[in-house]
Amino acid sequence: MVKEIERAGIPVVHICTVVPISLTVGANRIVPAIAIPHPLGNPAVSKEDEKELRREIVLKAIKALETEVDGQTVFDK
Amino acid sequence: MRLELGNIFIKDLQFGEATKVENGVLYVNKKELLEAVGGDHRLVSIEVDIAKPGEETRIMPVKDVIEPRVKVEGPGGIFPGFISKVDVVGSGKTHVLKGAAVVTAGKIVGFQEGIIDMSGTGADYTPFSKTNNLVLVCTPTEHLQQHEHEQAVRMVGLKAAAYIGEAGRNVNPDEVKIYETLPILEGIKKYPDLPKVAYVYMLQTQGLLHDTYVYGVDAKRIVPTLIYPTEVMDGAILSGNCVSACDKNPTYNHLNNPIIEDLYERHGKDYNFVGVIITNENVTLADKERSSNWTAKLAEFLGLDAVIISEEGFGNPDTDLMMNCKKISAKGIKTVLVTDEYAGRDGASQSLADADKTADAVVTAGNANEVIQLPSMKKVIGYLDPADTIAGGFDGSLRPDGSIMAELQVITGATSEIGFNKLSATEY
Repeated sequence: MVKEIERAGIPVVHICTVVPISLTVGANRIVPAIAIPHPLGNPAVSKEDEKELRREIVLKAIKALETEVDGQTVFDK
Repeated sequence: MRLELGNIFIKDLQFGEATKVENGVLYVNKKELLEAVGGDHRLVSIEVDIAKPGEETRIMPVKDVIEPRVKVEGPGGIFPGFISKVDVVGSGKTHVLKGAAVVTAGKIVGFQEGIIDMSGTGADYTPFSKTNNLVLVCTPTEHLQQHEHEQAVRMVGLKAAAYIGEAGRNVNPDEVKIYETLPILEGIKKYPDLPKVAYVYMLQTQGLLHDTYVYGVDAKRIVPTLIYPTEVMDGAILSGNCVSACDKNPTYNHLNNPIIEDLYERHGKDYNFVGVIITNENVTLADKERSSNWTAKLAEFLGLDAVIISEEGFGNPDTDLMMNCKKISAKGIKTVLVTDEYAGRDGASQSLADADKTADAVVTAGNANEVIQLPSMKKVIGYLDPADTIAGGFDGSLRPDGSIMAELQVITGATSEIGFNKLSATEY
C-alpha cells in the first residue's frame, strides 16, 4: 500500500513496529511503533502517559512527512 | 548429558479396566484418567474419545498434541515446571509410548486452532493421522477468559500425557536409542576435525495465546540461552500455543524435534553437534534486536562453524529468522534456515515477510496458503463450526454436507518448520 500510494506521487509515512520488514518492502519514511499487538499504544502505562506517547508518534510522523529524504529513512530519534 | 529413550510401540488404543500396555495395545481406564486430569473449576466437562488411523474421524479445533512419556531413571520427571518439579531433565532413562498421542480439543480458545483428519486428503497432511489418539474435549465455563481457557486445557493435556505415560514405566521397550551431548570443551576435544554445528531453536512467544514454556518459564521472558538437546526430549520445552495450526510446534513435536534427532544421527560422523541455543520471537523491535544479538553472540562464543535455525509461526517472526541469520552469518558462521511459506493461493507472492541476502540456504516446509478440500467425515470429535473462522478458513469453508474447503494452514502440523512432516514446496 505504501509503495502504491507513493507511486501516485503522494508521500507516505509508514508507522510500523518491525522496521526491517518496512525496509524490505521499500517504505521511504519509517516511524517505529510500540509493539505488534499495540502499535500505537501501550497498555502497560497510564492513560495520560499513553496519550502523550500517541501524540509523540503522530507528531513524529507529521514531521517525517515534511522532511525531504534521500532514500529509505528511519525516524527513530 | 546422556539419555536413553526406550520406545514402546503402540499399535492400538482401547478403553479398558486398567490403564496398561499389553502386547502393543494401550488400554486406558477412562474413570481413572478423568480423575487424574479433572478438578479444574474453569472447565465444566471433559469428555474422552479415541481416534485411530484410517477412521473416518475429524478432530477439531485441536489445541495441542502430546506424546505420553515417563521418566524411569535419572533426575526429574516429565514436563518439569508443570507436571514435575523443576529438576534438570534429559539424563537417565525415559520410556515413550510411540504411536500414541493425547490430543486436546473442544470449544475454540482463539482463532487459529487446527484440524486433524484420521483418513482422506486431510490425513495425508498431518502427522497425527498416523498416531492412536486419545482425545480430550474440554468445555470451559461461560465467560472464561481466553488465556485462562488455554491454560486449563493445556494442563489437562499435560496431566493426561503424564498419567498415560506411567503405563509404560515397567514395560520393556521395543527399541532403545541413546543420545549424548558432552560438556562443550570435552565435546570439542572428542571430534576436533569435524565442523562444530549447533541448532538455533526459535520459540513462538508473541503472547496473546502464542506462548511457549521452558521449564515452566514463559519464553518471552528469557534471553537466548543454551539447553542440552536431551532436555527437550523430556519435555523441558512445551507448547502453550493456540495459534497457527500448520506451523506451530505442538508439544509432541518439541519432544520429537527432527532437527535434533537428525543432528544426533550425524554427530561424530559428519558434524560435531555441540548443542542447542533457544531463543524467542517477541513483539517489540527492541526484543527482536536483543534476542538476535544474543543468539549471534552465543554462536560465536561456542566457536561454531555452522547453525541450523528453525522458525515457529509466520509473519513478523520472519524478521526474527532473518535477524538471526544475518547476525550469525556476519560472525562468519554458516546458516541454514527452516521455515514455511505464505506465498498466496497461487504460490506467486513473496513467501516470507522479510528477506536478507545472507539467507542463501533455506529449507521450506510447504505453502500454507494452498487451498485443499477435505471430505466430510462420519464422526466429528469437537466442533465443525469454527471452520469458517480459524486462520485458513473463510466464509463458506464449511459446506452443508460437512466437507471443508480451506487453506492448508488449518491442518495441525501440516507445514512444520522443524520438519515434523513430509511436505515441502518446489518451483516448476
